Amino acid sequence: MESSEEKVVAVIMVGGPTKGTRFRPLSFNTPKPLFPLAGQPMVQHPISACKRIPNLVQIFLIGFHEERDFALYVSSISNELKMPVRYLKEDKPHGSAGGLYYFRNIIMEDNPSHIFLLNCDVCCSFPLTDMLEAHKRYGGMGTVLVIKVSAESANQFGELVADPITKELLHYTEKPETFVSDLINCGVYIFTPHILTAIQEVSMHREGQGHIAANIRHLSSFETLQSPTRALPLDFVRLDQDILSPFAGKKQLYTYETMDFWEQIKTPGMALKCSGLYLAQFRFTSSHLLAGGDGTKSASIVGDVFVHPSAKVHPTAKIGPNVSISANVRVGAGVRLISCIILDDVEVQENAVVINSIVGWKSSIGKWSRVQADGDYNAKLGITILGEAVIVEDEVVVINSIVLPNKTLNLSVQDEIIL
Amino acid sequence: MKALILVGGFGTRLRPLTLSVPKPLVEFANKPMILHQIEALKAVGVTEVVLAINYQPEVMLNFLKEFEAKLGIMITCSQETEPLGTAGPLALARDKLIDGSGEPFFVLNSDVISEYPFKEMIEFHKAHGGEASIMVTKVDEPSKYGVVVMEESTGQVDKFVEKPKLFVGNKINAGIYLLNPSVLDRIELRPTSIEKEVFPKIAAEKKLYAMVLPGFWMDIGQPRDYITGLRLYLDSLRKKASTKLSTGPHIVGNVLVHESAKIGEGCLIGPDVAIGPGCVVEAGVRLSRCTVMRGVRIKKHACISSSIIGWHSTVGQWARVENMTILGEDVHVGDEIYSNGGVVLPHKEIKSSILKPEIVM
Repeated sequence: MESSEEKVVAVIMVGGPTKGTRFRPLSFNTPKPLFPLAGQPMVQHPISACKRIPNLVQIFLIGFHEERDFALYVSSISNELKMPVRYLKEDKPHGSAGGLYYFRNIIMEDNPSHIFLLNCDVCCSFPLTDMLEAHKRYGGMGTVLVIKVSAESANQFGELVADPITKELLHYTEKPETFVSDLINCGVYIFTPHILTAIQEVSMHREGQGHIAANIRHLSSFETLQSPTRALPLDFVRLDQDILSPFAGKKQLYTYETMDFWEQIKTPGMALKCSGLYLAQFRFTSSHLLAGGDGTKSASIVGDVFVHPSAKVHPTAKIGPNVSISANVRVGAGVRLISCIILDDVEVQENAVVINSIVGWKSSIGKWSRVQADGDYNAKLGITILGEAVIVEDEVVVINSIVLPNKTLNLSVQDEIIL
Repeated sequence: MKALILVGGFGTRLRPLTLSVPKPLVEFANKPMILHQIEALKAVGVTEVVLAINYQPEVMLNFLKEFEAKLGIMITCSQETEPLGTAGPLALARDKLIDGSGEPFFVLNSDVISEYPFKEMIEFHKAHGGEASIMVTKVDEPSKYGVVVMEESTGQVDKFVEKPKLFVGNKINAGIYLLNPSVLDRIELRPTSIEKEVFPKIAAEKKLYAMVLPGFWMDIGQPRDYITGLRLYLDSLRKKASTKLSTGPHIVGNVLVHESAKIGEGCLIGPDVAIGPGCVVEAGVRLSRCTVMRGVRIKKHACISSSIIGWHSTVGQWARVENMTILGEDVHVGDEIYSNGGVVLPHKEIKSSILKPEIVM
């Protein structure tokens, strides 16, 4: 029975600047959670999904980026959604569960009956309402969103074993060397407030172990090998190893399987891929956001394309599929854009071609120049990335390369990182 | 007397070091690059230095306040809103450079390291009575640069030839000029090249003279030349019998060690090494032809050559780092790791060996 008193909050973990150098060079200019996918900051996709949950009262972003990096964004998205979105800055990383515990008083302000916990850099359809219903049916402390992947790729993630009937989480292991399961942790969870007690228990247990250790004068090297967690600070608690693993098989944790798409956005290559996934999703959920055009009054649009209202695209240009064009971009006559993200204030001059690339803020792509890549989202140089304010001169070709900010390319390059 | 230092832009050739610090503040031989020039200018009586910059003025301005006080010289910034080339910045800073006294002013390229014979240059300039003097330096491969063709006895400049295919001379523009205020009347406030547009006109009027730079010269704007430059600089310290160079049984050749750095037992340091403040070099370490920036820890038995180790980095035990390895700020090379020419961006951990030159982002 749904009580109208029952409130729900959502917590989105946004990380911080010292982790994740994998998002360079784009992370030099913007915190990863604010990088645009399908025309919206990365974090906005889970935020929009949370907004659709009935009885949701607040959304918290927890991380250790500087507050000023998020101040403008949270204020504007709160206004737009008419829902409080707050950024809570950790003084130091506490781990995925430790952060939740650290801010428990604020999170429990409205006495929520359920807490959603999401990782910001996860790209999926966020079936949160269905997941909440399933969680209530299971009646446990927590429910983990899971997805089936190929057996070969499973060991890059946290692997879970679930009971096929009850869906209970029976076993959890992080990046195992041998095959355990093809069901993996999506990084989206629902918890009841009991999770906070569970996290506290973990810290206290660790402290207890520390006390015992302190009483033994000589700790044998064998013993120090056995308990690596003793080295972690008491308030650093990881959700995966410290909560999911020990509580598995105790009728406390359950799983909910999604059949839709799921990816992790760790690199610029994956950002381009996920931008495409979200654009495809817009076709079903928010088709008014997508561009249309047939080359007469406005440019020809192929497939799923986002064009910011302030961008100017010449009618003879052909755009798409999978293209996202940000604010104040100018796309000149005869330009062809395929599978790319064009960031704010970029100028793409006449007859240029951009394929499988990310073009950084304020960059300039010269006439008849060609910026392209193979499009292997997982390869190091699989997409071409131009950092902020890069100038590609007329007729220059840039293939499978990464160019750091403020460079001018007057000669063609291939398979290179340009510092 | 006044001086203008062309600091320019983003220092991209010195990345990854310049990802952490603007180029003029990157230390060379344990002193910010630009300080070498400012100190030499002060020594000949320059009272005001103008820095022509177009990047990160806040960081520069903070640094400058500190050194204005310490050195007793006025340091100001002239900020370009668009890149103005090598002559445009002079027009932008016009009001700061002309004080009505008619005295000539110095213009320096910020990447240049040399002995800065400014006193001799002032005398040379007075003697020939022309409008502009430039320093030239002799190089082995002049066709990589712009060659200055001049009359050997008087130094009067005939013309400039950019990257000549046939030998026309072996003296190139060293990036140090002494100019009369009238030169400013020749420069418009727009992107302009001093070598391509301004100097050729003055040379045609037979008013441009070149002086051959005595001693060493290096453009240290990129890592390879930075390392060569350190060797030349330390060599010139040796020639002046400087007490700054280190001595001791663990020292080979020319070595500069900051007084706050600690060096362990059984090390062999040198030749051509600079170790910055607060560094810790543990026992059994071999360092040659390298620069170790502030706050670095080199662990036991490591071996580093021909490399630059960025601020607050660590190099693990038994690690071997060589062949133009450049570590940015806060890079941690694991124990026993080998780096052959790794160029590593800031805030990284290197846990597996880099077998051939590679950029690690």
